[in-house]
Amino acid sequence: MADSNERPNGAVGRRDFFKGAAAGAAGMIVTGREADAAPASAVDPPAPAVVVPTVAQDQAYALAQSGATPPVAGAVPNGRQPASDFMVDVLKKLDFDYVAINPGSAFAGLHESLINYSGNRAPEILTALHEEAAIAMAHGYAKAAGKPMLVCVHGTVGMLHGSMALFQAWADRVPVFLIVGLHRNPTGIVNLPHSAQDMGSIVRDFVKFDDEATNLERFAESTLRAYQIATTPPMGPVLLSVDADLQEETIDAKERPRIPEFVRTSPPQGDSNAVREAARLLVAAESPLLLPRKLARTPRGWDLMIELAQTLQAPVDVGTYGSWQDFPSWHPLWGNGGTGYRADVTLGLEMSDMSALARTARTNGRKTISISAEHLFQHSNIHDYGRYADVDLAIAGDAEATLPSLIEEVKKLLTDDRKRALADRGTKIAAAHKDAHKRYVENASFGWGNSPISIPRMIAELGEQVKNDDWAIVSGHQFTGDWQRRLMNFDKHYRYNGDNGGFGIGYDTPGSVGAALAHKRQGRLSIGIVGDGDLNFQPGVLWTAVHHKIPLLLVVHNNRAYHAEVMIVQRMCGSRGRGMANAHIGSMLNEPAINYSQMAKAYGMYSEGPIDHPRDLAAAYQRALAKVRAGEPALIDVVAQPR
Amino acid sequence: MSRVTVAALAVIVMVSTSAPRAQTPAPAAPTGDAKRGQELFDKTYKCYACHGYDGQTGNPRLVPMSRTQAFIAYVRKPATAQMPKFVDPPEKDLVDVYAYVRSIPVAAAPADSIPLLKGIIDRRGKTN
Repeated sequence: MADSNERPNGAVGRRDFFKGAAAGAAGMIVTGREADAAPASAVDPPAPAVVVPTVAQDQAYALAQSGATPPVAGAVPNGRQPASDFMVDVLKKLDFDYVAINPGSAFAGLHESLINYSGNRAPEILTALHEEAAIAMAHGYAKAAGKPMLVCVHGTVGMLHGSMALFQAWADRVPVFLIVGLHRNPTGIVNLPHSAQDMGSIVRDFVKFDDEATNLERFAESTLRAYQIATTPPMGPVLLSVDADLQEETIDAKERPRIPEFVRTSPPQGDSNAVREAARLLVAAESPLLLPRKLARTPRGWDLMIELAQTLQAPVDVGTYGSWQDFPSWHPLWGNGGTGYRADVTLGLEMSDMSALARTARTNGRKTISISAEHLFQHSNIHDYGRYADVDLAIAGDAEATLPSLIEEVKKLLTDDRKRALADRGTKIAAAHKDAHKRYVENASFGWGNSPISIPRMIAELGEQVKNDDWAIVSGHQFTGDWQRRLMNFDKHYRYNGDNGGFGIGYDTPGSVGAALAHKRQGRLSIGIVGDGDLNFQPGVLWTAVHHKIPLLLVVHNNRAYHAEVMIVQRMCGSRGRGMANAHIGSMLNEPAINYSQMAKAYGMYSEGPIDHPRDLAAAYQRALAKVRAGEPALIDVVAQPR
Repeated sequence: MSRVTVAALAVIVMVSTSAPRAQTPAPAAPTGDAKRGQELFDKTYKCYACHGYDGQTGNPRLVPMSRTQAFIAYVRKPATAQMPKFVDPPEKDLVDVYAYVRSIPVAAAPADSIPLLKGIIDRRGKTN
């Protein structure tokens, strides 16, 4: 396992931080293959692509006149190297393909090393127009690529801009590696407010780990530690604060600290006795139900989930929101078992809140089991951990890593008679699910030809156009209900990238761009179905997609409102008996209606719309998809029904 | 953000609205002004917010509408907290809204008659 996951240079490969799960019951202790084998001097930094230039006198003069702090004092003396070059060498241990930035002087040293010393390669800079967009891109990217993206932000202001996206990644349990530059000894009217005595405290409630690199040795160790923590379930974003002066120091070879090897941590697995008991309950159950949530971090998890369901012939209900893609949506076992199916044993896999299920089950003499890395969570000011659930069996461990041993125990307990009984159950469940799907699709015909366009029409027409592509939905489905999974066959692990995690608006558009970047390497066709409200939070990311040639079809579900809020305020008005006349104030996005096609064009993106009649939809999709297949992003503005 | 709460509930409601269409006996013909009712539905009371601009696509779907006089009483005092209480509209307004809802075509085209949907059902069927 370790060998297959390691690159010759010791860097981490694609999806490597997930691969520990595949080790299953065998466990996995990974050590750096070449740890301690080479002296510090043996670390070979890449040759500088461009010699650091001396700042021209006139430029320095212009800077001085502008009142800005000159970022570079002069040429690097012979035999010395900017400390930020060393930082880049450390970062290169971690196989970052991209670093998303919105520029800031507090990480100018690192910025310069990335573009000149590293030649803007591995990681390559992605220019974001807002820090929230940068981090949200990294969030979407990590789920699609299976590894974190690096993000650099400016002290205080940049981090505050990005904090919302950081929170979403935290709530989604997704690793993002964030570096914030700061001035440890600030002077001047600009740098003072951009520094803080404890920069990490600003976002500490929603990062898994943070540290400040006070010297280069600590930078190296904290970087590797932070990556290790970020990528060990339960995963989460991490933060490293780095002083601008430290970045801009110069060092000679003797001062260059050793760069340790990166050591990947194996994911925690459930206790073997507890897993055995879970298997016993599941095999003995007459009507078990499996509830995976953010389980399948890797394709291996997807395969294991199918194997467990098929071995037990149990229905798999992936829930409404918050899940990643855990199970094929057209699989015969995808669903809740059908009308009348009453689960006597329910297994939650990475399900953050089983409290209601557990309460009901205890009342009715049924059993609930939870296998989740959430049981290992240590801190949170935010109530994203859900309510306390008095399940019958709580197993602390990463569900994906625990599945191999659970499946093995289940198989041990299955007699031939039991297998026959389970097969009969599976046949009934499959028939019920098939019938339920048919009824659901029949409901798509309501309003089929109407304008504004119905949600199922918007999705079904899209599905028809991409049915022969290797597609991936890179946005959430928070506001389009179950239609995506019902009308399109989510038959691969990467078909769906999940929702935002924290149920906050503003992730879907930049998250889609980040995920599309990851899928670009695989030659997959990325599609984001984003709300108009979401797009308006970070429209600048359209430019980023164009600038970096990220192929992505963005379908704007344009209902011209913060629509859920419209309904909520209506209810509030009604409950207080004050009438509906003012219920729309503050929630509608009309008068004037926003033209998202024109918006996209302003950023240089191919676009069509607003399209408000279904007869125009298929052709518009075809034209836009032709652009996307050719490697460009494109946007279609669809004026659609609210829900 | 609370935006999600309603959306999640809406899905639950949607699942429960998959009853066979056009099976309910037609209630007595409404007496209101359907055209005015549509204006009220769309603009004044913004019923479309939950029920779709056409009463067909929202959650829950309004057609086929089986309520008769109970419609007005229900709108003023719904049985579910998800439905706003429309206590202030004049009786005439609700009569007109009811007339509009009743005027919406009840029967959608059978899914089998829409090639795109038939294709989905057929492809899904092959997975069993």
